[in-house]
Amino acid sequence: MQVYLKPVKKIGITALVPPELIFACGQEPFDVNNVIPASRSYPVNKLCAWTAIWKEMITKGEIRIDSFIVVAGGDCHNALVDGQKASRSGIPTHFFFYPFDGDPQYMESELYDLSYFLGSIQKPELFKEIIELKKIGKKIDKKRSAGKISPGEAFRSLISFSDLCGDINKFRKDIASIKEIKIHMNNRVAMIGVPPIYHDFHEIAQSLGLHIVFDELPSEFIRHTGKDIKSLARDYCDYTFARPLDLRIEFLQKELERRKIDGIIHYTQFSCHHMLEDEVFREELDFPILTIQGDLPGKTPQQIKLRLEAFREMLDRT
Amino acid sequence: MIGLDVGSTTAKMVKITDGEVIFRITGTHNWKDLIRGIKDDEIISTGYFKNSVPHKATLTEITAARYGVKHYFPYADVIVDIGGQDTKVIDIRKNNFVINDKCSAGTGAFLEFVANYFKIELKDLGLLHSRAKRIPDINNTCGVFAISEMISQLVAGFSKEEVIAGMHYAFARRISFMIPEGETIVLIGGTVKNEGMVSALRDILQKKVLIPREPQIINALGALKYYS
Repeated sequence: MQVYLKPVKKIGITALVPPELIFACGQEPFDVNNVIPASRSYPVNKLCAWTAIWKEMITKGEIRIDSFIVVAGGDCHNALVDGQKASRSGIPTHFFFYPFDGDPQYMESELYDLSYFLGSIQKPELFKEIIELKKIGKKIDKKRSAGKISPGEAFRSLISFSDLCGDINKFRKDIASIKEIKIHMNNRVAMIGVPPIYHDFHEIAQSLGLHIVFDELPSEFIRHTGKDIKSLARDYCDYTFARPLDLRIEFLQKELERRKIDGIIHYTQFSCHHMLEDEVFREELDFPILTIQGDLPGKTPQQIKLRLEAFREMLDRT
Repeated sequence: MIGLDVGSTTAKMVKITDGEVIFRITGTHNWKDLIRGIKDDEIISTGYFKNSVPHKATLTEITAARYGVKHYFPYADVIVDIGGQDTKVIDIRKNNFVINDKCSAGTGAFLEFVANYFKIELKDLGLLHSRAKRIPDINNTCGVFAISEMISQLVAGFSKEEVIAGMHYAFARRISFMIPEGETIVLIGGTVKNEGMVSALRDILQKKVLIPREPQIINALGALKYYS
């Protein structure tokens, strides 16, 4: 008897789509955002460079994916439109919506819809494997906060939890190879907001005396998981970026206190609605805050370095 | 020991002798003239090119401004540093700052456009402003389009002096959006030597606005004070 294996499909995602479900459905997730910081694209007709670049790269076939899942409700409003534009190139596209009120039943129905789009669950054993991987992710995060892993290396590991680099076994080896070091940290900084679009940001901040001990969005990538659709729904419905701002602030207050931070860098992206949240953070979070705004990817620009340096001088005085 | 501020358009040197602040200002390209006979380890540098010039230590313009202003006005709430290529607003009480370096409309470059259009010296803008009888509304927040609007006002019958005053108000309005609550605002940077712009800003802010006698050297002074 011949056994025909279904070919594994590469599923483009815009974080955060539960990678557990994609792997369990026998497919391979690929976070299209992860290629942006190293890209040299200058997209036409753009608002946010993150969404504009993946839209253009997908449309031109520079990102090769079989299907596409766009988080269109909850954390990125530009993705709703750029996702539809990308889908016009003929790639089957599914739009995924988080519940603003955190309703786990709604979340569960969204996850069932997603599993139908992906086929069906073929490898339920992978849920547990990913739970174990995320435990390792939490250890990496803890070590980074204790100055035992460099901020840059920790950031790159944690951000990769959005798709586990599409290969669970290889990813497990990669994160196991992270070497411990000892860093003296005098200015402990939390990075909140969307991740910086500059590929060297954490290293530049460190070289200027700012040690990033918390990355808000990547920490969400390791915080949520589950052993089946029901438990995924219960956990992922608490994804702070998709919930009311008050809940996110409450979560941040505890997290920033726990990590004993000295200051906050609020990274915002040009034309991103998250920029509007800045004044609320400034009112509610009782730490010195530096707000920076990025636009196109690449190295950290000189103007941003000046702000980082001035912020460090400010923290040195407090 | 000297403070050296090498910015995008001018270079400034400050030293303190017998308690007196002594300074020199030149074009950025002539910065070497300011440090002749001075050893590298006697220079505290700041400004855009702080790392490109000899120095013992460096300091950002933001921190330098705080220390420089404190020398003259220890109780200031907010510093507005209007430079040739950017504008920095420092909220001293909240230990916070914002920088506009993406758009020319709130920087000295904007007023250079205006002076260039009328083929006059930058320093003459203030005098011409004082002769204006009416002030036209120029609402555009983009430097380039504000110039188009300025031309429209000239065609509509406003005089050169009045249109320059209108441009000062447009500029000052743009800056005022960046300024937080505070009683005492200190203006520094070369652009605040323009009395027309300062008068527009005072009118819009309706707050106590202070200007050091030589507003262009404050960051060089602050760099020196920080390390001495």
